Amino acid sequence: MLEVVELSKHYKNKKAVKGVNLYLEKGETVGLLGPNGAGKSTTISLISSLVNPTSGDVRLKNESILRNPEKIRNILGVVPQDIALYMDLTAKENLEFFGRIHRIKKKELQRRVDEVLDIIGLQDRKKDLVKTFSGGMKRRLNIGVALLHEPELIIMDEPTVGIDPQSRNYILETVKRLNVEKNITVLYTSHYMEEVEYLCDRIYIMDHGEVIAAGTKEEIKSILSAEQSIAIKVEILKGEYLQLLQALPNVKNISVQDPAITLIVPKKVNILKDLFKLAEETKTNIISVHIETPTLEDVFLHLTGRQLRD
Amino acid sequence: MRGIVWANFRMLLRKPGAFIATTIICIAFAYLLGKSSFTKVEVPVYSSLPEEEVNSIIEELNKGDAFEFIVEDEKEVKNKVAAGSAEAGVLLEGSSFTLFQVGNTENFHLINQYMERYYVKRLKEKAVIDLAADSNQAFEKITEVNGNQLFQLSVASFSDENQWVYDPGLQSLFGFALFFSIYTVAFNVVEILREKQLGIWDRLILSSTSKIEMYVGNLLYCFLIGYIQIALIFVVFKYGAGVDFYGSFGKTLILIIPYLFSIVALSIFLTGIVKTIGQFNALVPLISVSFAMLGGAYWPIEIITSDTLLTISKAIPITYGMELLKGATISGLSYSELLYPISILILMGVVMMGIGIRLMERRHV
Repeated sequence: MLEVVELSKHYKNKKAVKGVNLYLEKGETVGLLGPNGAGKSTTISLISSLVNPTSGDVRLKNESILRNPEKIRNILGVVPQDIALYMDLTAKENLEFFGRIHRIKKKELQRRVDEVLDIIGLQDRKKDLVKTFSGGMKRRLNIGVALLHEPELIIMDEPTVGIDPQSRNYILETVKRLNVEKNITVLYTSHYMEEVEYLCDRIYIMDHGEVIAAGTKEEIKSILSAEQSIAIKVEILKGEYLQLLQALPNVKNISVQDPAITLIVPKKVNILKDLFKLAEETKTNIISVHIETPTLEDVFLHLTGRQLRD
Repeated sequence: MRGIVWANFRMLLRKPGAFIATTIICIAFAYLLGKSSFTKVEVPVYSSLPEEEVNSIIEELNKGDAFEFIVEDEKEVKNKVAAGSAEAGVLLEGSSFTLFQVGNTENFHLINQYMERYYVKRLKEKAVIDLAADSNQAFEKITEVNGNQLFQLSVASFSDENQWVYDPGLQSLFGFALFFSIYTVAFNVVEILREKQLGIWDRLILSSTSKIEMYVGNLLYCFLIGYIQIALIFVVFKYGAGVDFYGSFGKTLILIIPYLFSIVALSIFLTGIVKTIGQFNALVPLISVSFAMLGGAYWPIEIITSDTLLTISKAIPITYGMELLKGATISGLSYSELLYPISILILMGVVMMGIGIRLMERRHV
């Protein structure tokens, strides 16, 4: 359905996106993962025709949209990272306004507004001003606006940032339902690995403006199939202990979430003995040790050297 | 486009505070500074003449625009003058009058002149009636002569740089209306920048609405809100304070159109050159106050003698706005005679809007 070919965007002092290739099949949910500054939002702006690329192409149903952006705009709904709504209008008025600028006919608009209010669960608050809404409700309405003109493709740029777990679940379920029931294609970016794992069929991982890994969840996890993840919880984390762990020859990656440490090591290597020995030497009390199969988070750490939320 | 105008008006109805506040402040400033020409000076009067005669004198005296004579008892009149709540009090007699005063004021001399003129005329008429054989016929003749002057005198003058008429009421009304409208328009235009930063503008770009419609919708709203404000202020002064627009009230409502067009363009130009809304908020008062001072909104531009300041004023929309409004009212100029300031304002508008929109389009956010 959508194909991005060698897409690049260079600003004066910065190469924001460097030769990105990705594709979306009809009805798929694809995740775009990356830490802050990875180039996700610029890639989204390029795909949605808001920004012109320095080079490369975006092709919709085998036709370039660069010269004729209306093609993608007519079938695209974008949920921006920020709450792009009028705070002094009610939920219904916001939907009516954005419906009008999409040139939805009056009778049809009322039907669509009602339908969207049902989808996002704000029917009972439709007459309330948006500024009185909670963060989660605003996020839901932010999504609702992108659904008004019944798009075939939705691009969601971190739609669950800064909201409570209940609203987050509601949004995830809504996205899943839209994908399954209405066969809407979704490009979903997030900081939350579990959201992407839950929603997406395929994943692209971006860092420093480039796609550094792509594939299904299983394919990406298989990058670390020969490794294991060891999570050590300590009473008080000492710098000396950390330094000694880093110096171990088989440790491929180490991340710290005080008072826990996660190590990526080859499966075949038995490192436990060393861990306890070093703890004894540095007088560090180990509370627990968990050996796990690497998660997407671990793969991400392995690939970028950073936590997703860094 | 209509959707954008609709949404903006909806939001104005939800939050009309700023609009109402600037309108009220503008009315208050214009009223206070032009007060002397909007209100009549009250003059308390007493007399021992028969009531019918006193009423007839008062009726004649009150035909003037400047003073309102009110009959009271002697004690009250003297108390008012002594307390300073009246600048002068008058004792009316058949063939003379007495003025009471506590201190010398500008209005005291004017009241004195006015009363003298009235009594000279009154005594002349009385003398004619007394000398006539038929006093009733003489009275009718005098009324007829007063109604149909022997000579119809009309005065015409060519206005030039050294001759100008000053109407303090209209000066302050026009000056403050044009000045405050800059705030109203500018702080609505900058909402485009805010919408860009919030991502609303991106949503509009991705819709079926074209960019031209987006700009026209937003700028049309800003124009309309400025227009409504100025029109409202003019209506309040015309019908509330009875300000004389020299029969050109409708014309003034048309002539504010080119001025507001240039102000909308100026605002989009400023929005284009600033980097943040904070910068814009700091720049607008600076620009508007200096424009008002140099453009003759606070005081008549005719009193400025510096060639440098006068040259600078040629690049300021308020100068031409004031020229239009004062030209149409005080000087009674026709549209064709006002074509020059109209053209300048339109030219300024087109240039600044062109540059402003281009700068807006080039900025990242």
